[in-house]
Amino acid sequence: MPKLVIDEREIEVPEGTKVIEAAEQLGIMIPRFCYHPALGSVGACRVCAVKFLEGPFKGVQMSCMIDAKDDMVVSTTDEEAVEFRKYVIEWLMLHHPHDCPVCDEGGHCLLQDMTVSGGHGVRRYLGLKRTYRDQYLGPLVQHEMNRCIHCYRCTRFYQEFAGYFDLGVMQIANHTYFGRFKDGILESPFTGNLSDICPTGVYTDKPSRFFGRRWDYQRSPSLCINCSLGCHITASARYREVVRQEARYSEAVNGYFICDRGRHGFHYAKSETRPGKALVDGREVTTEEGIRAAREKLAELMSRIESDGVACLGSARSSLENQAMLKQLCQKMGWQDPSYFVDESLAKKVKTAVTRLEPELTVSLRDLEGSDAIIVVGADPINEAPMLALAMRQAQRKGGKIVVLDPRPISLPCDYTHLPVKLDEINLYLGALIKAAVDPEAITDAEKDVARFYREAPMLEIFVDSLQKKASSLAQELRASQRVVIVCGTQVVRETTVVLAGDCVSLLRAAKKQAGLFYLLPQANAFGASLLTNKEFSFLNTLEGMENGSIKGLILVENDPFYSFHHRQRLDLAIEKLDLLIVLDYLESPAVRKAHVFLPTSTLYETGGIYINQEGRAQAATKTYLGGISIAQISGGNHPPRIYGSEIPGGEARAAFQFLDQIGDGGSDEDETASRQNPLRWLSANLPALAKIPPFGELTEAGMLINSSDEGTGQFSLDWKEEKDKGDMTGDLLEVILTDLTFGTEELSSFSPPLRKLERKPCLFMQVNDAAKMGLSSEDRVRIKLDEGDVEVDVRLEENMAPGVVILPRHRLLEWQKVKRLPKFVRFEEIEKVSD
Amino acid sequence: MLSQQERDEIEAEFPHYEKKRGVSVEAMKIIQRHRGWVSTQAIEEISEFLEMTPDELDGVATFYNLIFRKPVGKHVILVCDSVSCWIMGYEEVRSHLLSRLGIQFGQTTGDGRFTLLSVPCLGACDQAPAMMVNDKLYGNLDPAKIDEILEAHA
Repeated sequence: MPKLVIDEREIEVPEGTKVIEAAEQLGIMIPRFCYHPALGSVGACRVCAVKFLEGPFKGVQMSCMIDAKDDMVVSTTDEEAVEFRKYVIEWLMLHHPHDCPVCDEGGHCLLQDMTVSGGHGVRRYLGLKRTYRDQYLGPLVQHEMNRCIHCYRCTRFYQEFAGYFDLGVMQIANHTYFGRFKDGILESPFTGNLSDICPTGVYTDKPSRFFGRRWDYQRSPSLCINCSLGCHITASARYREVVRQEARYSEAVNGYFICDRGRHGFHYAKSETRPGKALVDGREVTTEEGIRAAREKLAELMSRIESDGVACLGSARSSLENQAMLKQLCQKMGWQDPSYFVDESLAKKVKTAVTRLEPELTVSLRDLEGSDAIIVVGADPINEAPMLALAMRQAQRKGGKIVVLDPRPISLPCDYTHLPVKLDEINLYLGALIKAAVDPEAITDAEKDVARFYREAPMLEIFVDSLQKKASSLAQELRASQRVVIVCGTQVVRETTVVLAGDCVSLLRAAKKQAGLFYLLPQANAFGASLLTNKEFSFLNTLEGMENGSIKGLILVENDPFYSFHHRQRLDLAIEKLDLLIVLDYLESPAVRKAHVFLPTSTLYETGGIYINQEGRAQAATKTYLGGISIAQISGGNHPPRIYGSEIPGGEARAAFQFLDQIGDGGSDEDETASRQNPLRWLSANLPALAKIPPFGELTEAGMLINSSDEGTGQFSLDWKEEKDKGDMTGDLLEVILTDLTFGTEELSSFSPPLRKLERKPCLFMQVNDAAKMGLSSEDRVRIKLDEGDVEVDVRLEENMAPGVVILPRHRLLEWQKVKRLPKFVRFEEIEKVSD
Repeated sequence: MLSQQERDEIEAEFPHYEKKRGVSVEAMKIIQRHRGWVSTQAIEEISEFLEMTPDELDGVATFYNLIFRKPVGKHVILVCDSVSCWIMGYEEVRSHLLSRLGIQFGQTTGDGRFTLLSVPCLGACDQAPAMMVNDKLYGNLDPAKIDEILEAHA
């Protein structure tokens, strides 16, 4: 390891460390524009010049381009280097418009900082400046090319790092232009990062323009809850509303970047439709009256029914505190345990995932970037958890091999091999690929059950002819790989697939590979929800209870089954039969409107909370602002009301755990901080996996990895084929797979006005050959017959998907909740063309 | 649409390169030979043929000053403004061309006959001052010789 001296201080760094990085480790921030730790060095901007006094290089050199070496003596403050940097800044600023007062980057602009600190305080150039025409880049990013200093960070991120090629460099020299071939919406779902990494105001966050300077904002470390990855975010609020979110660096999870769904998915918290007042039978009441009504109505109900006549449904989007408090309440009141998942099969799959994640198998999102083979099973990264796709791209750029086993038309921003197979057949193909990837010699001393699993795994020959060649060349490459990660989704796959993914990792490890396991879960805190889920109580049981009259009261906590349950009519009827429906939520929903008592809960921005990501990492989001109705909404664009008072206007919302606490103990009005310790203490006392959970506020940046694995559960199950019961249906069938899109299906982000502009029109994806059988062509409109009615939708033909399936997104604009039972199959004739 | 001949000529270049996109520059030169310049539509057509995005191809196109992304005149004049030509009388050549054609660098004459462009070097220092008209090099220029050359290009 080279040892060098920078500004008279010695440091030892690993071989290959650049001088600029070595200096940073000493706390010396050498100026930089083009250098970015995630993007590497290109030596384009020349502003990181330092003077090398001793060693293999001499004189003024770029610190981002030179590896630290033994005997180097470097000065960042040498007069010659300082003067050099000053001139560099001056010529970078030559054409800059000096429009800081009207620029949205002003206040958090690297160029401002470097210009001032570099000593270029007075402009000497008086000539004409070069100007550019700006482009429309879509609803998320504002373009202002005149401010550009040509550091190339944008295209290096957009093309090299993220793998999209509709934004790039045009022209040459002084005319160099960063933009698109033509005006238009950027295609990548990672565009917001352009605003983060641009060192000046060429790309700024469009939805938050003209709202404030960074120093005006209440900024706090927060988490993204728009999928299960748990990316780190900095939330900014002003005037009682969240205004902007930026990526926050995380060593283990998201690195420097986030996706656009996460960045702009916060608008639900300030939605005009957000219910902010307690309601009793549809009438607005004070919060205290609401709590009292809930208690009284519950008491009245419980006086005349059995205690298991009250059921509770928690949620996988709630914080751990809320989830735990709900369970605590149920136990205190003698009700049956709550369920947290509307979809029973999903609950089972998540449970499997949570129990299979042994610490030595678990890989973080950043670990994934270092793997040399990734096998994706039943997951659609770009649509389900976009940042996963970005991590996979980094693995692939380093030479990693990516294989996807999924029936859907998967598209990834990297090189990958897609084997489009049906859900029923995924297990077979996964087993065959893994078997072929294992060197038989390597497992001669393996334990008996591993050996049997290996022996009974299917051979590669099971691949259909069209995939045979692909599969065998893949197997070769997999055999050569050392760090294999199996990424397994939980949304669309069969229950056995989730088990098998874990078994396959165990086999690979027995074969002495460093195999890892990476599950995708359905929502931000599905892990926590699953820890609290008692296997015996599922929402389907609850529903049956409601139907047969044994359940008379239902409490929904931050869960809207009308959004996610596949059979709306059944749900409607069951809810009608209830004597008491209590809803706690921060989203507007049919459930809120039907509630006898509604209590408005706070979002994570107003309360913070602990969320456990799909890897089992418990992480904390801190409070961003105190809550209340935004000034923009309360004043309707005019001066805010001239009323004096100590209350926060519209600040009735409380944390769900507070409400639940109060419902349970008679409304002793503890404050939030005190109330929060309650569920956390309960968790550490009652859940062994969470025994060591620290008090809120003491979770570190890296979070805490929760180990809830249960060795020996369902291992080596040998379920090679899980054929689903198709009832009395025979012949050629199509499975209707309900699925997610990047924008338009996820519940929270579907409230975001800028993201709504990016939603694709809902459509039905069909395999070209299936469509040909039915005489359908692209852009045809079809009516697909579901159990409780039809759905009319455009057809989109895809080549790279499995035959025998159709893909229907759970789009917010589509009434897809007409399915009696999942998985759902239709006959060819149940999809018919709509003549126009 | 790319004509059959254009496609054939581009395809003939494929064996010389590892990837299709490697043919970008050659492909645009082929199109320019046939059409005089490379339009926005041509960028879309070529990029589709080479399996790259139009953004990527236009990045290449706009990098090179001899790929014309705007229509040019019937004859393109490239005048060397490099140091040898400058020593040998470039300024007289330039002012004579500007006044005879009545246009500035980067412009095309009203009758569409000539487009005037500057280039940094033609590799013809031994014949400085020099210029090119279309594919032909002319050296040892003086006003009379320039007039003669312009006359010859109807």
